[in-house]
Amino acid sequence: MKFNKKICLGIESTAHTFGVGIVDFEGNVHSLVNDVFIPEKGGLHPALVREHHLNNFMTTVHKAISGARCKIKEIDLIAFSQSPGLGPVLRIGALVARMLSQLLNIPIVAVNHCIAHIEIGRLLCKLKDPLTLYVSGGNTIISAFESSRYQIFGETLDIPVGNMIDMFARDAGIPHPGGPKIEILAAKSEKYVSLPYVVKGMDLSFSGLYTAAKKLIQSEQLGSSYTINDIAYSLQETAFSMLTEVTERALAHTEKKEVLLTGGVAANKRLQEMIQSISNEHHARFEVVPLRYAGDNGAMIGWAGVLRYKSEGEQTILKTTIKPKERMDRISIPWRI
Amino acid sequence: MDNNIIKEKLIHTGAEAKLIYGKWFNKEVIFKHRIPKNYRIIEIDRQIRTIRTLNEARTLIKVKNFGVNVPQVYDIDTFNSIIIMKFINGEKLKNVLNAVDHDKKKRIFRNIGKAIAKLHQNGHIHGDITTSNIIITSGEEIFLIDFGLHETSDTIEDKSVDLHLFKRVLISSHGKDFRFCFDKFLEGYRSVYEVDRLNECETIIQNISIIETRGRYVKKEDRL
Repeated sequence: MKFNKKICLGIESTAHTFGVGIVDFEGNVHSLVNDVFIPEKGGLHPALVREHHLNNFMTTVHKAISGARCKIKEIDLIAFSQSPGLGPVLRIGALVARMLSQLLNIPIVAVNHCIAHIEIGRLLCKLKDPLTLYVSGGNTIISAFESSRYQIFGETLDIPVGNMIDMFARDAGIPHPGGPKIEILAAKSEKYVSLPYVVKGMDLSFSGLYTAAKKLIQSEQLGSSYTINDIAYSLQETAFSMLTEVTERALAHTEKKEVLLTGGVAANKRLQEMIQSISNEHHARFEVVPLRYAGDNGAMIGWAGVLRYKSEGEQTILKTTIKPKERMDRISIPWRI
Repeated sequence: MDNNIIKEKLIHTGAEAKLIYGKWFNKEVIFKHRIPKNYRIIEIDRQIRTIRTLNEARTLIKVKNFGVNVPQVYDIDTFNSIIIMKFINGEKLKNVLNAVDHDKKKRIFRNIGKAIAKLHQNGHIHGDITTSNIIITSGEEIFLIDFGLHETSDTIEDKSVDLHLFKRVLISSHGKDFRFCFDKFLEGYRSVYEVDRLNECETIIQNISIIETRGRYVKKEDRL
């Protein structure tokens, strides 16, 4: 198929997902292929994730290109995730992007992963200026656009909420990914076991909550005083109440009229319900990014790349070094003034 | 009996509480009502509202003894999470800051510094020092309000975090004047610490810049 619009190939490689997506310059997604590394046991070891991505990237790129029914030479722009993420893993995405760009002589742009999440959400949910709650295994951020940046109003001080749930699931003997299974267990209970609730100003801390929940499942009282379902329920209720409280405070402060929920944890129905409730109270429109696009994927990287390319043009190879620890509030957003 | 307690009008709705002006045995008062949130389960909701109400009321009563201006607490209703406290007739600092002259600003921030230092010396952390949580009366008296996030602590770290949060607020909402205001604030803060505790005071202030470089994703070369 011949494209009458310019197209961009986006490469996502910050953690367990190696994703390639093809989007055109007007925001239509033509293909989205994800290759997810699933550990046999334990969490994500950067070296193992890197090996996995390195061995499989070409298949993913091919699938995405044939899925969009185009040829690789028809691509007009390459975008890749530059920050933040696991260093060794980011490097694979950067390597593939730079290779394709130089080999085929296609312009390249580097993209911040968190900004890409917000931008694909704005595009698909048709929002202008939302307050975003971005919750996943790697990030927990409450952000809104103010004085030409995506400012961070609140964030986790230690572990991200998705990571906390996954770690708890592993301790409870539930294999990866734990989040959806914890949600099912939680739905079976209505018995609350008290757990630490830690909100510091606009920031959150989940490590104490994790330790307390872990102690509960290791205790001898498991099965007699409470069940695993009760702990899953209490864990979710506590963590999500914390997230909702901070989001509400940010909403009252920024007075935004739209709320966007994104990231892997956005799939949780209970969290959606809570954020919906405070959005209604503050007369704000609430949207959840469709599941396929809420998790890590290449299409969001492609779209964020298109936005930057349209306002700033291509980048030199020297500008495309990876930045594993870059904060999104340090990055200029020229397409939104 | 009930005629002695009159709720007159809602003056502010925050994310957490409603402030209602009224009369309590002929005294002008504020009813601070922490409202139930129906997004969270009743167990968590009740626990949070009760703990924060009790904590705030206790703190208001305690810190008065250190010579810090705070509203007098008249009554507490823990079941409904309401604190009845004296109505302070004044303006939020946030609303008047842009209109005050240089000299007055200097005096105000020095006095805020003194008030916070008195809290810190006695092991109290306000937890949410912002320009909306400081009231200025017509007689230029400073009142600290909203102790909902208060903590009892005597560590350098917690005190520095308290100052750091105030600095962040000044930067984000009063950018151009921030240097001057924060310097005067620190001047007042230092002046309360006596000679034998000056070292502690300097450590707290120096620790602010260490905290600033500690955030998530701050580059290695920017860390101290």
